[in-house]
Amino acid sequence: MSSTLQGPVDAYADVSAFYDDFERWLAAGPPELVNAVAPETSTSGQMAGMRDLMKALYSEGWSRYGWPVEMGGLGGTIYHRAAMWEALARSGVSKMGAFEHLEVLGPTLLSLGPAEFVSAVFPRFLDGTESWAQGFSEPDAGSDLASIRTRATAMDGGYVVTGRKIWTSWAHYATWCLLLVRTGTAESRHRGVTAMAVNLKSPGVEVRPIAQADGNDELAEVTFDDVFVPADRVIGAVDGGWAVAMDILSHERGTFPWFRHCFLTSQLQEEIEFAAPHADALLADAILDLASSGAASAAGLQSHNEDSPLGPRAAFTKLLLCSAEQSLYDWTIATDGDIAADPADSSAMETRQRYMFSRIVTIYGGSQQMQLDTIAKRILRLP
Amino acid sequence: MIDPFAETDSDFLGSTLAALSTVAPEEALNSLGWSDLLPHLDDADARQALFGLFRAQGRLLVNSSALATLMAHPYLANGWGSTSHVATIQRESPRHGSRTVIMSTPPIGNLLIDRPGEGVRIVASSEVAIRPIDLPGHVNLQEVEVDLVGVPIAIPEEEAAILRAQSQYLGRTALAFDMLGASESALKLAVDHARDREQFGQPIGSFQAVRHLLAWARVDCAALSAVAEQVIDSEEQFLPGYDAIVKALAGRNGQRVCQRTLQVLGAIGFTTEHQHHHFYSRILCMDSLLGSSAALSYELASKYRTSMGAFPDVTLHAAVQAN
Ligand SMILES: Cc1cc2nc3c(=O)[nH]c(=O)nc-3n(C[C@H](O)[C@H](O)[C@H](O)COP(=O)(O)OP(=O)(O)OC[C@H]3O[C@@H](n4cnc5c(N)ncnc54)[C@H](O)[C@@H]3O)c2cc1C
Repeated sequence: MSSTLQGPVDAYADVSAFYDDFERWLAAGPPELVNAVAPETSTSGQMAGMRDLMKALYSEGWSRYGWPVEMGGLGGTIYHRAAMWEALARSGVSKMGAFEHLEVLGPTLLSLGPAEFVSAVFPRFLDGTESWAQGFSEPDAGSDLASIRTRATAMDGGYVVTGRKIWTSWAHYATWCLLLVRTGTAESRHRGVTAMAVNLKSPGVEVRPIAQADGNDELAEVTFDDVFVPADRVIGAVDGGWAVAMDILSHERGTFPWFRHCFLTSQLQEEIEFAAPHADALLADAILDLASSGAASAAGLQSHNEDSPLGPRAAFTKLLLCSAEQSLYDWTIATDGDIAADPADSSAMETRQRYMFSRIVTIYGGSQQMQLDTIAKRILRLP
Repeated sequence: MIDPFAETDSDFLGSTLAALSTVAPEEALNSLGWSDLLPHLDDADARQALFGLFRAQGRLLVNSSALATLMAHPYLANGWGSTSHVATIQRESPRHGSRTVIMSTPPIGNLLIDRPGEGVRIVASSEVAIRPIDLPGHVNLQEVEVDLVGVPIAIPEEEAAILRAQSQYLGRTALAFDMLGASESALKLAVDHARDREQFGQPIGSFQAVRHLLAWARVDCAALSAVAEQVIDSEEQFLPGYDAIVKALAGRNGQRVCQRTLQVLGAIGFTTEHQHHHFYSRILCMDSLLGSSAALSYELASKYRTSMGAFPDVTLHAAVQAN
């Protein structure tokens, strides 16, 4: 996705006018926003709130900027999307929920997916009627993603998929899953991997939500038992799934960290009324780490806009965002013991949930250790 | 040798490094036309060159009159004094009380001595005793011994306060860039060492514990670089309150980089023969001037806590600004 996207952006060629008008729309308190930011700790409630909000954003046109016209968009650049997510974060929207895959999977679907299929399904994602999940991890393939075993066997008109995925966020709300499957030999590692879009409502698919330590259950285990996938659902090349996965990971370092950073900043502003002097050292670290994640994420946005991918330097953005998130919540729990001892009221409960979630951010999307390995190998070029 | 910053260094930084490594610092400043850029601080390209010099100085352990000149600029730009003026720095010593220091090659011309609450005095350098402070790191820090009794106030406090804040903003940013450069060089030393030094029959850089120490150090450099570059890239010449963040981060990250790289170097890094201690001392010294990381962190947190909301978030609306 680059700034060269064409479309009838008209009045909103200027992103600041777009931002201002959108902010005004949000400030008027549309019911879908009020609902989406109301205290809610269940995954189903959060998901329902986000879905209604996405539908409203689509029908008002806001979420269509930054996407090509033939995909249901109104043209514009990644900056339109970043501006929309920033304004939402600053209005209290804490998570993109399943719609983070608009930003994470969306750009890859558009650039590497089969045009006919993508132009049929993407608009339904954008307008909030359907959502997607990302099926990479398996019980025996976590950090070592190239060891996946879920197999796709070619047959007349497509593939038959059998295997097990785990930690698939929002799978039980999703219609589609971008699945990474083994098409090569068992030993082929990253060379024998293919990406395909699988309809999770197909016969043979079973989705089981997983109860999480933070009280949510957005994660799920998904099993595939002889599931038929038509040939025109392959994303990228057959046996070329690794490149697709890497492209997706690079977009995970685009508008997503920018949105998260903006949310964390507004969370700091919200929690500051509970600040206690004894936690000042942690507050200072949170401020410095947020400054770092903000600057790194802004640079990441720029590189996406210029179509000059960050490559291994994307690991900086990821690590700095994780540090900022953990520092912020280290401070939050230090300054307000209710989060640990008495999260009875709904706002402390939400903060507790976010605290718990911040503990695991160094795992998903490539663990902290994998990011450090990347820097050591590809930037420092250590032996 | 592989340069861990090759990918991110600008051409401009390259030519500044080249100039500083071939001729004496003052000569390099002249050939780069550095001081001619001072009146253009409102321009991002000029800021890139002005602050880039400090990053290069930190990389090479070089010092010049640039910091004292840069910090004098706001006073001069407002009609106080001529280009022969350089700025001193006040520091509070718990052992010796208030001190006046200057970080420069031996200063000539007039010294601006700005005391908060009093105003600025101007003293000819020939009338003061200048005592070099012996420190590793080639920082050229000197103590200015001067008796201010009877020296008239040249810029009254009311006007000095605003100019002092600007001078401090520029000084803090410059020191942060210098500390960034020094951190980067300390890291390069350790990366080279990790590649060459063998234990257990293999380079120590093949051990993950060592690799991760170095990777974290690289992340700390990247964070400081991204944050400091906001000062250059911003449309504003001064981002309110941001100098405290940049300088606090430089002190915190700079020290972390030195600790992690020293751990990788092992005992050899603890010797005077090895360069590492120069970078470490330079960072410690610069951290202590114009507000240390500890002091600024304390100030940032308590100010923010009590004012509830004046958080200097310069990346606010980054998408809108960049567009
Ligand atoms: C909130 C959340 C959401 C997620 N969403 C999705 C999703 O939507 N889709 C999806 O496919 N997956 C998802 N995941 C899964 C995620 O990608 C994996 O958890 C991750 O890849 C790590 O795998 P693992 O949990 O099996 O840990 P492991 O790989 O077993 O790692 C355990 C620990 O060992 C360390 N370790 C492993 N190998 C090495 C090594 N070589 N060197 C040093 N340390 C090592 C790791 O850093 C980690 O600390 C999600 C996970 C979480 C927590």
